[in-house]
Amino acid sequence: MSRMSILCMLFLGSIAACTPVTAKVLLRVEPSPLPPADKTGIQDVVLLWPLRDLSAAAKLRSQGYRVFLQCESKDLAAAVVAAERAAVTGIIVANTARSSQPAALEPLRPYFAAHKSLTFRVLVPGGKQPQMKGRLVVERDGVLQVSSASSQPWLDTNLALVRLAQSMDPDSLPILYDFHWDTSGGLPDTWRPDAEAYEVAIAEADANRSDVTIDLPGSLQKALAADDSRAWMLWKGIMPYLDFSSHAQTERMLPVVNLGVIVEDAQASYEAINLMARHNLAFESVRPSDLTLARLSSWNSVVVFCPLNKEAVALLRNFAASGRIVIFVNTQDKFPWHSAPPLRQESGATVYSIGAGQVVELAEPVVDPENFARDLHRLIGRERSALTLWNSITTLVTGYHEQGGLDITLYLVNYADQPDNVQVQVKGRFARVRLESPEEPCCVSLPFVERGGFTEFMIPTLRITARVHLDSARESSAAP
Amino acid sequence: MRWLKSAALAFLVLAMLPLPAILCLPQNSSFVHQKRYAMGTVFEIVIYDEDLPRADAAARAALDEVVRLDGMMSNYKPESDLSRMNRSAHFQPIRIPRELYEIIEESLFYSRHSDGQFDISVGPLVDLWKATLAGAPLPTTTDQASALRCIGYQKIELIPPDRIQFHSDCMRLDLGATGKGYAVDRVAEILNACGIHRAYIDAGGSTIYALGAPPGGNAWRVRLRDPSHKLGPEVMLMNNSVSTSEQSAPSSLGGDAPGHIIVPGTGKPLQTRYAISVTAPSATASDALSTTLLLLGPSKGVALVKTLHNVSAIWIDSDGQRTLAGDGVSFVLAGGDRPIDVSPLRNRVAPTSKAAKELLP
Repeated sequence: MSRMSILCMLFLGSIAACTPVTAKVLLRVEPSPLPPADKTGIQDVVLLWPLRDLSAAAKLRSQGYRVFLQCESKDLAAAVVAAERAAVTGIIVANTARSSQPAALEPLRPYFAAHKSLTFRVLVPGGKQPQMKGRLVVERDGVLQVSSASSQPWLDTNLALVRLAQSMDPDSLPILYDFHWDTSGGLPDTWRPDAEAYEVAIAEADANRSDVTIDLPGSLQKALAADDSRAWMLWKGIMPYLDFSSHAQTERMLPVVNLGVIVEDAQASYEAINLMARHNLAFESVRPSDLTLARLSSWNSVVVFCPLNKEAVALLRNFAASGRIVIFVNTQDKFPWHSAPPLRQESGATVYSIGAGQVVELAEPVVDPENFARDLHRLIGRERSALTLWNSITTLVTGYHEQGGLDITLYLVNYADQPDNVQVQVKGRFARVRLESPEEPCCVSLPFVERGGFTEFMIPTLRITARVHLDSARESSAAP
Repeated sequence: MRWLKSAALAFLVLAMLPLPAILCLPQNSSFVHQKRYAMGTVFEIVIYDEDLPRADAAARAALDEVVRLDGMMSNYKPESDLSRMNRSAHFQPIRIPRELYEIIEESLFYSRHSDGQFDISVGPLVDLWKATLAGAPLPTTTDQASALRCIGYQKIELIPPDRIQFHSDCMRLDLGATGKGYAVDRVAEILNACGIHRAYIDAGGSTIYALGAPPGGNAWRVRLRDPSHKLGPEVMLMNNSVSTSEQSAPSSLGGDAPGHIIVPGTGKPLQTRYAISVTAPSATASDALSTTLLLLGPSKGVALVKTLHNVSAIWIDSDGQRTLAGDGVSFVLAGGDRPIDVSPLRNRVAPTSKAAKELLP
């Protein structure tokens, strides 16, 4: 992701702040026949602008869909006129990464204000197909590979992208992103992507509490419209996931976190943050200007990727002194605690003891994000982690709670093609643990144990996704 | 007449091309690439074949087998045969599946030949240090001593044809150093049985088996791990395997970062600056040997390699110092001005055990 695309993302995130929440899964389709909304289970469809024939939008509306036009920012004027003429629901502005300067997008604001009948969404660039990836690059006549010690599966996820976009404008919920399907490696007469790829994409957006635009390949759209039984077999596999995602809580929820990430230049630290997400570190990111005492109160560890002013440094000094951990990445700054000798000094890392806590200073940027994330995991330790999974290296977990609420909902997504047996540890004590999944309607009670201030339970078979509701003792009597 | 002219022209063009170019001309064969999560990593198979549905079915069947073996040999899954054996083989001889028996038998061969440096009974120590890797405090000396008491391959008794007993009340086997290799060999067997002759099988990058050669090539080229980034080592594989082992990287945040490879004798994580790659005719052998030879280090490791046929090993440290041994596949170092073919020492010593004979072609 280029630096400019990140800057644009931040800028457009601020525009999106005023837009209402619309849908979770938007299907980008071709302007050709599509079965009606009550058959596909989809409410929102996206047509790419320019659109030769606006009647395609009208036809989709008549079939029960809310229709969005997706355009580049340079085409917004024409798209708005067409959108109003076709009475579509809204406009999605894309391709912001190619804008030369964020300021160049300023002219868009008047459109958002002037066309109240339209909903405007802004696509966050940089999304990727969520999947477990292999290591091989296959060419026509061979394979490219470097041997190594046994490596963990690589997961392509959008969690870091969403968390960074949210941090740049905390009010711009939900984030909307898209991605392109990887259709390589399939047999000629099989559908690519397969049902599982759609299911993971839908589940991930649900878990990230974000919206996603998914492409419906033209061949599949045509086959669905033609009532092709194989196409419908695939689509009917996806529908329970659409249904499951649509039943998630829609209230504004706060992520369960114990790690704060302070970041100014999202691009420079993106890969490190991406690997934190992949290793299930329960984090949220904030800009330095948003760092407050209240924010720090929900964290026990902080990673700083950017220079800070004196006030912020003082906040973090007190934070560390109270028994917490602060890690500065790529810093040569002078800090007040340098007046005392460091506790340890090793290649590239200097550790200071401050009160009951510690500050780790890394002189260089993170060169091995995978190792950094693992080391961070180890440094924070289980006893400080809000959420921990055991032996589930293909599953990501995110947790949410209402402001001031004690109940927690966990969203789990397994990116592998094998069901996972997931052992979960959550900080806190709960009266009830309930599981729901596309295969298991709400809700199945899970046995759990309390140990040292943590609640532990197991999900025996996590196929792709599940939500786990942890009901606090106070509220469980009222829960159904 | 016009047809004859065209045919003659085509023949002339083909005749003027060098042989490798002709081999690289587009052929009917294309490839199937499948992956599956198992044994804590991603298994990948690439098959070149003219019959893609057959290749697809073969890859699927082979990966199903890997998942089945994972279910048998996993020490994470309480219901696996390995876990069941670890729970109950202390009390009396118990029957185990053929595959588990085979892999334990072969592992014991490497234990004997490395004087116990390689030892699958290291399970209690692995668990102890693995918890530390996940954020638990470093194990105390008492913890380590307590785990060390359980270690010792001599306390494993295999009772032919399919039973095992532990002569220790706390022994637990860990097949982390051989399981993936064994699974890769099973994949190769299944693909062969399905009539597949060009395939590349990869278990998380650490063990790779090459079946035949890719279209237009004589062998599959694999670049090898080089902690120095100076040597660019490569190996060309055809019907053989390469495995790479290396201790986990030190912590980037300072402090202790125990590695995942434990020295059975001391009970502590291995301290080494080497990465090692080992080639062998079978993936089980290359997998087991890579851990064994990393534990032994170059000086003792070379002596072991000299007792084996068709095995090559290369140790590379972070400064680019290298040690080679064996009479197997040659390594190519591409880090200099021009590639150098560095055949390891050729020492042929008669195999010392029945299991070692498996290292013969």
